[in-house]
Amino acid sequence: MVQSKRQRNLFLAFCLVPTFLLFSVFTLYPLFNGLYYSFFQWSGASSLAEFVGFDNYRRLFSDEIIPRTILHDYFLVVTKVFGIMILSTFFAVALTQMKIKEAPFYRIVFFFPNIMSVVVIGILWMFIYNPSLGLINSGLEFIGLESWQRPWLGSEDWALPSLVLPSVWAGIGLFMLMLMGGISNISKSYYEAAEIDGATEWQQFWKVTLPLIWPQIKISILYIIITTLNGSFIIVQVMTKGGPNNSTHVMGSYLYEQAFVKYNFGYGATIGVMILVLSLITVFVMQFLMRREKVEY
Amino acid sequence: MKKGSFFSRSIVRIPLIIWSLAVLYPIFWMVLGAFKSNAEIYANPWGLPESFSFGNFVDAWSNYNIDSSVFNSFIVTGLGATLTLAMAIPTSYALERMRFRGNRLLFTLYISAMMIPMVLGWIPLFFLLMQLNLLDNIFGLSIVYAISQLPFSIFVLTSFMATIPKSLEEAAAIDGMSPYGILWKIITPLSTTGIITVTIMNMIQFWNEYFMALIFLQSEGNYTLALAIDYISNETQYTNAWGTLFASLVIAIIPVIVLYAIFQRRIVKGMTEGAIKG
Repeated sequence: MVQSKRQRNLFLAFCLVPTFLLFSVFTLYPLFNGLYYSFFQWSGASSLAEFVGFDNYRRLFSDEIIPRTILHDYFLVVTKVFGIMILSTFFAVALTQMKIKEAPFYRIVFFFPNIMSVVVIGILWMFIYNPSLGLINSGLEFIGLESWQRPWLGSEDWALPSLVLPSVWAGIGLFMLMLMGGISNISKSYYEAAEIDGATEWQQFWKVTLPLIWPQIKISILYIIITTLNGSFIIVQVMTKGGPNNSTHVMGSYLYEQAFVKYNFGYGATIGVMILVLSLITVFVMQFLMRREKVEY
Repeated sequence: MKKGSFFSRSIVRIPLIIWSLAVLYPIFWMVLGAFKSNAEIYANPWGLPESFSFGNFVDAWSNYNIDSSVFNSFIVTGLGATLTLAMAIPTSYALERMRFRGNRLLFTLYISAMMIPMVLGWIPLFFLLMQLNLLDNIFGLSIVYAISQLPFSIFVLTSFMATIPKSLEEAAAIDGMSPYGILWKIITPLSTTGIITVTIMNMIQFWNEYFMALIFLQSEGNYTLALAIDYISNETQYTNAWGTLFASLVIAIIPVIVLYAIFQRRIVKGMTEGAIKG
């Protein structure tokens, strides 16, 4: 090519430098700076930042709410992984293997909540859970189970489990489609061979379908874990704001409260470091646990 | 063959139909609620409205600042999506087609940013925006949004550009076209499909986003739609103006429904591929 080395480098710089600069300023710098802030006590006014060493970390370990927020986050991770994976695997198998005519309809409908705003989903479900007007309590009354009625989001015991359903409701479609992509790549001949060997449909599912879509299942589970640990606080903030009595606080919503409501920015950053460390550890551990020989027949 | 027999298909249909109802009924009912008066919502929250009235929409639009927040949301969405493209297209091209030292490293850096929880960065970002006079400013929020979607956009665009045959660029270079010309006149038009997919995904993301807006915007005049709705929702606990709340939810969801109706396949493809980066 007829361009000089200098021109080439100039073009390369034109392509990469502005983007990378902005990315550094607005993503890399804040992340490292957050780590730095976690060693300060700071209420926001720049002159008053005081270096306190590991005090924030000591506070983190003695804060009684912290273990609860961690527990709540992992409760959501586990219930969402099971709820979403079981339902979406069932739907994916049903829609690909059963020759259902109206399958495209279900695909379109099930996916739709995935592109709704968390705010809309949260508010919609707040009304569904509304103690006097909501669908759940009216439905229980309708089938004669008044004793099961509860002020769902207002109850310390039921508020956190109540947050699982909206998340599953909103998440199914995406994972169902990911699994359907995996299933449609499985060659029909495996099923025919299994059929000839006399395998029941149930055996076919366990011995053929599941091992062959394991890569998609693994990615889905990791994706649910990452998005829950990095984003569960959004639905918490919309629906319960961490209440009643801290019973739904997750790590992220507690960070928001400490930093942006109570102006403990240093301590907030410390919680942020904890979120980062815990989610990285969780992802590595899960990747290790779910590693499995690639299956080929 | 037993598979797909009439009997088993009917059994499988039951959960499918139940789940469809679980998805559709609340959404339909939200739309219906937007047309009901408050008295009707209390008397018959889950039934059909007796008469359709637009009073709730008028109330939301004029008494709850929904008009200015719709405007803000459009600005943030449009500007954010444009900025993302301006940053992502040249970088994706260089990462995909040019050999230079650190190429792999830079690509890995961008991609791994998709998995890092950004909450930690939001505290310093808050003060950074304050120093730059971009706090409580929808343009500042647009920049933050654009950069937050940069890794995803680079990820999709590089994999898309990889499918463009190299011979086209080589021919253009031999004809004396500058690399800038190749990027702008050959690569960009040929990546249209990928660019549209990325842009739709980003626009939906920005239109729906709530938490960064909550942190980085403060005055009501600057609220995006998500914040305005959250504000109305908090007020509803005292005013019980459910109809107004539903009307604002409907306003928020209409653009998403329209995009989904037009670009259903692309959105589905963009999201499933975006998730398979793991």
